[in-house]
Amino acid sequence: MEFVNPLTGFRLDGRRPNEMRHIRGEIGVVANADGSAMFEMGNTKVIAAVYGPREVQNKSQQLSNQALVQCEYSMANFSTGDRMRRPKGDRRSTEISLVIRQSLEASVLTHLMPRSQIDIFVQVLQADGGTRSACINAATMALADAGIPMCDLVTSCSAGYLCTTPLLDLNYVEDSAGGPDVTVGLLAKMDKVTLLQMDAKLPMDIFENVMQLAIEGCKAVAQYIHEVLLENTKQLESRRGK
Amino acid sequence: MVGLSSGEKHFIRGGISQDLRSDGRQRLDYRPISVEVGIIPQANGSARVRLGATDVIASIKAELGKPNPLQPDKGKVSIFVDCSPTAAPKFEGRGGEELSSELSVALQRCLLGGKSGAGAGIDLSSLTIVEGKICWDLYVDALVVSSDGNLLDALATAIKVALSNTGIPKVTVDLGTSPDDQPEVDVSEEEFLQFDTSAVPVIVTVTKVGRHYVVDATSEEESQMSSAVSASVNRHGQICGMTKRGGAGLDSSVILDMISVAKHVSEHLFSVLDSEIAAAEAAANS
Repeated sequence: MEFVNPLTGFRLDGRRPNEMRHIRGEIGVVANADGSAMFEMGNTKVIAAVYGPREVQNKSQQLSNQALVQCEYSMANFSTGDRMRRPKGDRRSTEISLVIRQSLEASVLTHLMPRSQIDIFVQVLQADGGTRSACINAATMALADAGIPMCDLVTSCSAGYLCTTPLLDLNYVEDSAGGPDVTVGLLAKMDKVTLLQMDAKLPMDIFENVMQLAIEGCKAVAQYIHEVLLENTKQLESRRGK
Repeated sequence: MVGLSSGEKHFIRGGISQDLRSDGRQRLDYRPISVEVGIIPQANGSARVRLGATDVIASIKAELGKPNPLQPDKGKVSIFVDCSPTAAPKFEGRGGEELSSELSVALQRCLLGGKSGAGAGIDLSSLTIVEGKICWDLYVDALVVSSDGNLLDALATAIKVALSNTGIPKVTVDLGTSPDDQPEVDVSEEEFLQFDTSAVPVIVTVTKVGRHYVVDATSEEESQMSSAVSASVNRHGQICGMTKRGGAGLDSSVILDMISVAKHVSEHLFSVLDSEIAAAEAAANS
């Protein structure tokens, strides 16, 4: 199948190979949560809610010198094209929960909140490829909304390699094509990679190109998130009447 | 939810008895309802309803299936509610299962009628394609994104709006040569039949706090309730289903009174919903 048109260079959805899908982020979507955000990458739509820092529920897990970060990833029954009843705690959800937690824990200044717990819940409303990237981006915005101290914004983007072209931000059709899928999580300003996952195989030199493309995507997302957070802060400031 | 101090509890109860609740509403007022349709493009119908801080999403998916042999001329509808952990930390893992199953069963009781399929708010016989062989299976999936009380009303409203947004694809049936053949069905991608939702009821939950009833309680007010009666009322003012929650015993006259309050409030709710649905459909189509 022609994922990249050889004549025009366009992908199946009309994008260029190094073009991301349209992204949109919004803060404060869940009123009860300490911090929450909704993030869309093309047709992939996720909501993240952060509860914390709060008292640890399970005292045996309490850490005396830092905060406990927990994450849960769940997909709605209607999120994919075929409706599927998802059991809670299936292996894919557990793995993605772990991945999100580890990427974000690298940035949260946990030593400032010992003996407390920070819960990050991510709910996928629509899945069209790149759900774990969208979840990490939404979780970063939700943590910022909750006022939890972080050393940097963690952003994530995926890239692949089809028809001898590196492609940025794969959607579901491109992801299921069987080509490699590289997901990168980046501490944006510090330029440090916190998450790197790949499936299928790639020669080393091409892998470097694809990873670099994903890192560029992460930086673009970080730029956007930074603008949204700045706009939100300006609104809060004006509401305070300063 | 953070616990309430005795001063706050007294304030809530006092406000309700004086017909001035914490957010300024009167006892029988609903919070502002905001409705969006068509938010899940790959579903046959979908809606998102916000009732104050309560936020729920309902999606309807229609798939071809085989009818129940006991009711060959009716389609099937199943309702599933999922409480997302984003609504409250206690819903993480399997914590939300109890509430989800309670809500699913209450919705089924109110919307789907008895075991024989009689009296359903959704006309199941409109879902048959070939009697005894092929019918539409409607899967109604609801997700609670944010919870601030009155989940049952919000869910029923979301399902009603999603049903009004649902388009069942037109099917052309080729019956085959003999009656035992499995018919060939061609599902149209282009043409859709809008679902008839005139008989779909709404649910009104009347919560008893002290000696007074409130409608559309927030989670703070629900924490002070002695019991609640949820009645499902259709457009003609007929009661389609009922659930009583809460341990306190109620006198039968009180229950009848609460039902008549629910009936009275439902008229207003129907008119608000009709205008909201029309506005949302117009916004979605523009």
